[in-house]
Amino acid sequence: MSAPLASDVPLLRAEGLTRSFTGRGGLFRRSRPVVAVRGVNVTLQRGEALGVVGESGCGKSTLGRLLLHLMPPTEGRVLFEGEDLATLSGAARRGLRRRMQMVFQDPYGSLDPRRSIGAQIADGLLIHGLADAAGAERQAAALLRQVGLEASHATRLPHEFSGGQRQRIAIARALATKPDFIVADEPVSALDVSIQAQIVNLLADLRQELGLALLFISHDLHVVRHLCDRVMVMYLGRVVEEGPASAIFHSPSHPYTRALLAATPSMHHRAKVAPLPGEVPSVANPPSGCVFRTRCPAARPACAEAMPPLETHPNRPERQIACWRAAEIEP
Amino acid sequence: MRRDKLRRLALPASLLGAILLLALAAPVLPLGNPVSQDINHRLAGISAGHWLGQDEYGRDVLTRLIWGARVSLSVAVSATVIATIVGTLLGILGGYFRGMVEIGTVRMAEIVLCFPPMLLALLVVTLLGPGAGTLIFTLAILFTPTFARVAYAETLSVRALDYVTAQEALGARSGRILLRTLLPNIAPPLIVQFSLTIAAAMLLESGLSFLGLGVVPPDPSWGLMIRGARTTMEQAPLLLLWPCLALTGTVLVLNLFCDRLRNALDPGTGGRSRPGFLRRLAVLAGAAEQPAAVPGLLAVRKLTLEVQGPTGPVPVVRDVNITVAPGETLAVVGESGSGKTLTGLAVMGLLPAAVRVTAGQILYTGRDGRTRDLLRLPERALRALRGRDLSMVFQDPASSLNPLLRIDAHLGEALRAHGQRQGIAARVVELLRNVGLPDPESRARSYPHELSGGQRQRVMIAAAIANHPRLLLADEPTTALDVTVQAQILDLLAGLKRSEEGMGMVFVTHNLAVVAEIADRVAVMYAGEVVEEGPVAEVFAAPRHPYTAALIASTPEGDAERLTSIPGRVPQAWAMPEGCRFAPRCEHARAICDQSAPALESPAPGRTTRCLRWKELA
Repeated sequence: MSAPLASDVPLLRAEGLTRSFTGRGGLFRRSRPVVAVRGVNVTLQRGEALGVVGESGCGKSTLGRLLLHLMPPTEGRVLFEGEDLATLSGAARRGLRRRMQMVFQDPYGSLDPRRSIGAQIADGLLIHGLADAAGAERQAAALLRQVGLEASHATRLPHEFSGGQRQRIAIARALATKPDFIVADEPVSALDVSIQAQIVNLLADLRQELGLALLFISHDLHVVRHLCDRVMVMYLGRVVEEGPASAIFHSPSHPYTRALLAATPSMHHRAKVAPLPGEVPSVANPPSGCVFRTRCPAARPACAEAMPPLETHPNRPERQIACWRAAEIEP
Repeated sequence: MRRDKLRRLALPASLLGAILLLALAAPVLPLGNPVSQDINHRLAGISAGHWLGQDEYGRDVLTRLIWGARVSLSVAVSATVIATIVGTLLGILGGYFRGMVEIGTVRMAEIVLCFPPMLLALLVVTLLGPGAGTLIFTLAILFTPTFARVAYAETLSVRALDYVTAQEALGARSGRILLRTLLPNIAPPLIVQFSLTIAAAMLLESGLSFLGLGVVPPDPSWGLMIRGARTTMEQAPLLLLWPCLALTGTVLVLNLFCDRLRNALDPGTGGRSRPGFLRRLAVLAGAAEQPAAVPGLLAVRKLTLEVQGPTGPVPVVRDVNITVAPGETLAVVGESGSGKTLTGLAVMGLLPAAVRVTAGQILYTGRDGRTRDLLRLPERALRALRGRDLSMVFQDPASSLNPLLRIDAHLGEALRAHGQRQGIAARVVELLRNVGLPDPESRARSYPHELSGGQRQRVMIAAAIANHPRLLLADEPTTALDVTVQAQILDLLAGLKRSEEGMGMVFVTHNLAVVAEIADRVAVMYAGEVVEEGPVAEVFAAPRHPYTAALIASTPEGDAERLTSIPGRVPQAWAMPEGCRFAPRCEHARAICDQSAPALESPAPGRTTRCLRWKELA
């Protein structure tokens, strides 16, 4: 497959990724850029699964698109096996797309309603010249079986399938070119619980089988924990905590991660702590200082002065945290 | 479904084919010369030799009509085809690449829109001289910007969809995306535009020829024929009728054809249903008053709902029994297609028009202690209950508030609808405070878009409890919200249960963890049936139906390495298994499960299950 590389070069590395969008200005108001993602670093090894967790507006979907260079970053760069995606020529970048793929949240919007699913799965093979028409058809049939559908389904249109089946089709399409890296943007949140489990297990199996690196974006820490080695928790465009998934799940450090876990309803116990007050502030007008301080139960006046950097936790070396009071909260 | 659509295309297609064939075959048809005159018989009526009579120069009208069709149709069709191709190209390029390309394409085309069409036509004709070629050129210029605009707008909306991004992620070139993904998906509105434009082009051609700017006499065209007939309208009114009839007929056939073509290209199912005002026409027969035999608040008995399927009525909810006592919260939980939402809507009398109640009772005991069957209550009486005794909170707070009305107008309406006249403003603020909206005085004057999703849901809840309902129906009220906001709303609902004394709640959801958080009892629905019911703690600790057990196991919680998933999917309503509906997906199914539908059994006091093997499995 890929040329042998020094093992210390990670599959994917993003440095200081920032993405801002031009804000909507009014007649008497200057438009102010909205920063969706600010200063995010990501390192992903071959075969590793990284979860990105956060609520709406935290920039997790934008991050996924930035890593695939589906939108260019405003600042920072993305290195795929050490190559800067931004400096590649258009043709070279299109060639690299064979090795990185995406699965979307909405199984109804991510498939072209007017083309047979077989043709859509075969697209990648034909675009990259990996097979001729007959070969692509054969491989599409094999991929359909691999994701648990029947080869005879290839000629049908997307509307003939249920949401869970469509998500399988979308996964088959992403797998067609044998990628090394897949971004899955909330792939199960539109699905029913029993179907959700099917898709999560399918992704886990495929990852094992194919050695895929996975960036799994979700708002549900529970799902992430089942699938990922590491997890990044985002709030308002920043990473606030990062570390091994099960460790963070069992003993979250950042006040936001704690609140997020406590707010997730559980079948086994009713919520004990009072829910977090307020809602996520607007990305267009984030609080000064620490972005979480307006809702943080541990906030002090000093938190309003500057955003804490993402650093190794003073008392938990396996994880990184962006909190001024990390050492006090967990001595 | 597809074949049906193609059949509907057959009639307009053959009519259109006949018109085109007639025009094409004009030279070989046994017709005279369209320009040969016969002054002796000018304005002669219908005769054996001249089926439609003769015009002011004695020319045969039928001949001129058919030859005129060649000119009229070819001008209109070629001008529209050119406009469609050029306009679509400009629009799709501008919409896909944006930026400078957009200025060079769509915005340039729009400049043409600034000229009055007739003026532009006059200008071109003056420069190039009249004739069919000039006419095509003029009409194409006139119609191009419309196509550019339609294609541009459609491209913008389609481009934002995930399947276009997916093509980019696959590494497809822009050309491939434009041709294979964007073009087929923006085609339907362009087809409609095409049919409208071709009709407009024919009319404009007639108009320009009529003014003497288009086709040059003595060549026939429908426009010229109308022009000629007008001067002799008094003597021979029929002469005006024929070209007008041809024009109208052709335009109608074209519109019909393009409309059906667009339907045929649409991959969706496109079901037809009855309009909404017929919704509760089919109230069940029988007396609404019931002896107060049931203690409690709400008792749904053997409710069965049907929709019209491809081969006859299909039950979507079958034999559902649920009860709610005052002050109790019942969670109705199930996956999509389980019938949980329909059951809720049936209680409110708000079923969609396509769904019909065929059997059952919904017994509601009101404040006056009388028990009524909501399924047999006339619409007027039910409307009086809705919003006062029975109220509802919907899933999507963004679309359930009218964006043009302020928050206080929404709440005031809820109060006024049930007779409150005074102190409305104060009560609105009080309600908003009760649901925990910060700064209720100024929030009352806000529009819905100024509130966040969680705040809008709080407003919806405020409206629902405005008249102290006896029964609150909440249909997935937290599904669209973030987790931390969901926790707040659940907290609010739990608080309301304490403050609104005796209020029962039906909470429809797909999330078992939310059920554990909020409900006293739970009814688990699968494929239109309640398969298990009982107190939440007992059901979750020791489920007595394999579906409940499987649903609990597939919830991502706890430390299991691997999630348990339920194989397969919910059966379609028209292809329900004969026996137990869950049997095809059940790991405990035996041959007997496929044969007979299990009846409701009671494994413990206050609990029911619909499983043949619950005893063995317990």
